[in-house]
Amino acid sequence: MNIKKLGRLSTPYLVWLSMLVLVPLLMMIVLSFFRTRGVSFVNAAFTLENWSTRLIDRSVQVALMNSFQFAGTTAVIVFLVGYPMAYILARSSFANKFVILVLTIIPMWSNSLLRNNALRNLFLSQNIVNDLLSPLGISFAWNLTGTKLAVIIGLVLTYLPFMVLPVYTVLEKMDKSLLEASMDLGANKIRTFFKVTFPLSFKGVLTGFIMVFLPSFSGFAVPYILGKGTFVVVGSIIETSYNYNINFVSTLSIVLVAIIFLLIFTVSKVDKEGESFL
Amino acid sequence: MMKSTFTRLSRQLTLFFRRPKVEKVVKVFSSIFKNAFFFLMMFLLYMPIIVIAIQSLNDSMNVNRFEGWTLRWYLEMFEDAELMVAISNTLVTAFLSTLIATVFGTMFAIGIHSLNKKARSRMVFLNQIPILNADVVTGLSLMLIFKVLMNVFPDIFVPFPANALFFRISVTVLLAHVYFSLPYVVLSVLPKLSEIDPNLYDAALDLGSKPFDAVMRVIVPAIKAGIFTGMLMAFTMSIDDFVITFFTSGGNFDNVSMFVYGKVGKLMTPSVYAYNTFLTLSVVVILVIAYVQSARKQKKLLLAHSTGK
Repeated sequence: MNIKKLGRLSTPYLVWLSMLVLVPLLMMIVLSFFRTRGVSFVNAAFTLENWSTRLIDRSVQVALMNSFQFAGTTAVIVFLVGYPMAYILARSSFANKFVILVLTIIPMWSNSLLRNNALRNLFLSQNIVNDLLSPLGISFAWNLTGTKLAVIIGLVLTYLPFMVLPVYTVLEKMDKSLLEASMDLGANKIRTFFKVTFPLSFKGVLTGFIMVFLPSFSGFAVPYILGKGTFVVVGSIIETSYNYNINFVSTLSIVLVAIIFLLIFTVSKVDKEGESFL
Repeated sequence: MMKSTFTRLSRQLTLFFRRPKVEKVVKVFSSIFKNAFFFLMMFLLYMPIIVIAIQSLNDSMNVNRFEGWTLRWYLEMFEDAELMVAISNTLVTAFLSTLIATVFGTMFAIGIHSLNKKARSRMVFLNQIPILNADVVTGLSLMLIFKVLMNVFPDIFVPFPANALFFRISVTVLLAHVYFSLPYVVLSVLPKLSEIDPNLYDAALDLGSKPFDAVMRVIVPAIKAGIFTGMLMAFTMSIDDFVITFFTSGGNFDNVSMFVYGKVGKLMTPSVYAYNTFLTLSVVVILVIAYVQSARKQKKLLLAHSTGK
């Protein structure tokens, strides 16, 4: 068939991706073993300090802990909230599911930094909503800005759609006759959910988990905005020191890539067809 | 002994819930609970957007005090040079990168689809990397590449044209945006390609089309929906990007996200809230129009079918 000849159209993409994925990765690996001035190797000195003393430095450990804490808590909460949302949406008799689905996506078109900034303002003791509601006798002063809770709320609200969408997609595609079969065989609703529905939707949950965990693990804008800069995370170390210490920043990036790779590897073991990504 | 009491109790409990009246009450309450939960979550999801809208209508520079309604920030938006530059940078980058990513993404997707199975799955895997990689790592990687390219093109980080009044184009930021939006176009086009009959392309060639014409007239129309989805995703990703722009801008090119990041906790013109509210509203309006039109089309189709035309 002639269409096979079109395969060569993808060659430039292979070159482009390897140039921009593999070359920088190799550069980072090399850079992490040296002390250099920027990317120039003039007067470069071989060193292992990035991998030994720097990586176990107290501040780096705290940043890693904070990142894990934020991302882990966020992913769990998003799952606990997003799964029921997707489930209700998929099983609902709402007149038009599509419209409601779109409604969960619309917040993504609003600048995410600005949304978190709005939360920051809202969580101050003196805020605009409190001014509007106080004549009605409602107090809306939470004073959360600068706390871990505020950061987690920000992350949850930013990444919630990333869990709802993939879970909804699998639930919607699911063969409904399996549920009927389960009920016919005597399982009640709860048992059917745990034995049939949930295992079949697990792929969507994994996709959602990765799509939520990874950006909240590596991001630095939300912790900075809602934490008032009190919480150091891995991303913020990279952000503040990439200009003067590219070597240690490369080391941290490789650590991030390793964590991401490990997560995806685990998921690909569970999901062999690889169809759950988006 | 314990066990039998437990079984008896659980059986009684099950029977209790199977009573028609109880079943009805449970059903009503669970439906109320479900809807309440869903709408509460939707409300929380929209809370920041509502706050942004209120801030854009607040007649005060102080975002923490409400001092009456106004529309002036929607007009003053055009007078704030710094914000206007950020907005035009964002929009120009988003339009250009979406255009480039859509054209090349479609081309690459057609290429990938035509590969044999092994090569295809390898390309699909490579294609996932920019999507799944952390933004900081992607940003840093691209910055490293551009820093190396600086040896060949010393001005690569300098936006052009140098003395432009409004928008300038930063090659590094543009390339970075193309890099992270391409995979989304490829991902949305690929499933559409596997839906079309491969013989159609052969037929077009047999009838004398040149390969390029055959692709444009046979394949592209059939995957239009996928291209459109990919385009939409590319635009969404580009317009909202912060981290990758931050690392690849070289410090002299701000988009709206960077403008906001630089002003967190400081005095920021409420016009930026006006811009964002306007953008969100336009998206909603466009979606509503698209929805109404597609609904009308479907209705027409149904009518045509039922009258046998």
